[in-house]
Amino acid sequence: MDLKTLCDLNGASGDERAVRRALIDAAKPLCDSVRIDKMGNVIAFKKGKTGGRHLLFSAHMDEIGFIVTGATEDGLLQFRPIGGVDPRVAVSKYVLVGEKQLKGVIGALAIHLQSAEDRKKVLGFDSLYIDIGAASKDEALADCPLGSYVYYDSVFEPFGDGCAVGKALDDRVGCYNLLRILKGTYGADVTCAFVVQEEVGTRGAMGAGFAAQADTAIVLEGTTAGDMGDVKKTSRVCEPGLGVAVSFMDNSSIADRALYKELLALAREKQIPCQVKRAATGGNDAGAYQRSKGGVRTCVLSVPCRYIHGPSSVIRLSDVEAQYFLAKAYAEEAK
Amino acid sequence: MKTEEFLKTAVATPGVTGNEGAVAQFIAEAFRPYVDEVSISPLQCVIAHKKGKGPKVIICAHLDEIGMMVSKIEEDGSLRLERVGGVDPRVLPGMRVRVYAKDETLLGVVGATPPHLLKEADRKNNYTFETLFVDLGMSADRVRAKVRVGDTVCFEARYAELKNNRVATKTVDDRGCVAIMLEAVKRMQDMRHEADLYFVATCQEEIGCYGAMVSSFALDPDFAVAFDVCHADTPGAPQGSTQKITSLVSSKGPFLNRCLEEKMEAVAKENGVELQIAVDQRRTGTDADTITVTRAGIPTVLLSLPIKYMHTNVELFDMHALKEGGRLLAHYLAQVQESWEDELWI
Repeated sequence: MDLKTLCDLNGASGDERAVRRALIDAAKPLCDSVRIDKMGNVIAFKKGKTGGRHLLFSAHMDEIGFIVTGATEDGLLQFRPIGGVDPRVAVSKYVLVGEKQLKGVIGALAIHLQSAEDRKKVLGFDSLYIDIGAASKDEALADCPLGSYVYYDSVFEPFGDGCAVGKALDDRVGCYNLLRILKGTYGADVTCAFVVQEEVGTRGAMGAGFAAQADTAIVLEGTTAGDMGDVKKTSRVCEPGLGVAVSFMDNSSIADRALYKELLALAREKQIPCQVKRAATGGNDAGAYQRSKGGVRTCVLSVPCRYIHGPSSVIRLSDVEAQYFLAKAYAEEAK
Repeated sequence: MKTEEFLKTAVATPGVTGNEGAVAQFIAEAFRPYVDEVSISPLQCVIAHKKGKGPKVIICAHLDEIGMMVSKIEEDGSLRLERVGGVDPRVLPGMRVRVYAKDETLLGVVGATPPHLLKEADRKNNYTFETLFVDLGMSADRVRAKVRVGDTVCFEARYAELKNNRVATKTVDDRGCVAIMLEAVKRMQDMRHEADLYFVATCQEEIGCYGAMVSSFALDPDFAVAFDVCHADTPGAPQGSTQKITSLVSSKGPFLNRCLEEKMEAVAKENGVELQIAVDQRRTGTDADTITVTRAGIPTVLLSLPIKYMHTNVELFDMHALKEGGRLLAHYLAQVQESWEDELWI
């Protein structure tokens, strides 16, 4: 399954059904067993030639989004974010709403009608709404009842020199590479976990970690790149084009030091482009895996994404390759 | 060409104020099959002439759009922008834009700091043109080879059909009104008219209505019908500043001719076209402002298409209202006759 197909699917935390279905169909022919656990995670298992080690590779299938919380008398939908969304980025975007995927836009008062005071004010989720063209509250809620999920209507497209722009790159890049890992053959047993609800507190990985038999968990992520514009040099985290980002630490876990060094050495040996993630920002599923059961060694390999959690995140495709090659090399070398 | 198809292409064709050549060409070709003569004026106004014995009437809607220009190429290859017309920077973060570079059109992304790196204080400030930038996904050297300071940047053109015949897209201001003129001119193929009609898609409205000024001088009409967009009902709008989205609006005020306006209301009533009335107590903010004082003065009537979210990439209007506007204009122009000149001030 290609990256565009995966990114263009909609699946915010708690509404992963479409992504889950696609992943199950894609994973089935590639491994020994695929099951759905009680959280809705998809767990694909591939028996190793020699056994002994058991590796877990994980990526989250959910993305950020919005959810309908009400409607005004004149038919505008009120909504809240699912996951970490900057409301300043949501203004004036095209969206798809509810099961019927109705088209809508996130509106805001025209600049001509704003006072000087208004212009300074940040539009929060209390003052934003979705316009689907409905003429009344009843009409709006009939099509988009409370709890309807909302997505940026935003397609994946290549642009620039070897870059791509799209929504949900965090973390469909990881899902895409898990499917590629499943195509290989390894000595060790390999579990690939496509987990849910990362964006609302790494909840899927808690269940997946509890059930997993693995001795080592490697999380494939899309992570914040802040290398352009006015972000201070010290806050730049990682840069697209420099390879897969290996984390020594983030807000949810500290990488297993031996594993971290092993991965960096492996990248060097195999000449896989690689960078160290320079700032301890963001949390991810590694925290959940690390502290599951009696504890599991973890490390995170990330594709740097600019403007993450927005409708137009930007990646460099060579970094997606680097993430795949490093994860695959680790699986092949594991004894 | 179907009105919807016309509008879809028209909004996707670049025509930022002062640089309207491409969209002028497209509009000229769209009008050509329905009129006797089409020309493009030195400042890039499209003039479509449908001949009649008189009086001479110009009908105006502007073809230029608000947009941006590249003002600086930063060391990291990101582009800084300067606005042309009233662009609200708050709508830009995360938007895809088109950069019209030397030899090609480039896709760009307006960058915004990711939430993970924001400090609490950052979240309280809106993005401005000082902090926003465009990312072309290329190295600085490659960007410099392709892009020049002064290149045009437009919002990405989307076209979303919503419920109740409503559509969200960019540049309904004012190509939606150019579409009304086209709709009228198509309808008039089967109608008789006495008036000598000049349909003018004007340039440079967004920075001072200059296209309308020079076109009305050059054509020296007896009357004018000006079209523009106005604000449709939106939460938080000041009282009295908006209209219902479902029908066109006719304006009353000192700048506008009362007799021509009353005739508009009568034609609407006669033909069952819904029409709202608004008041512009002084300037209208449209081409009517310059037309009315061109030469010795030109009596003008102003019609507006209500839209939500004006000057954004999601301008939202009612397609039914737009088409009804075309029907109203066709009937109005078919009724114009010489005797109207005697009634204007009596």
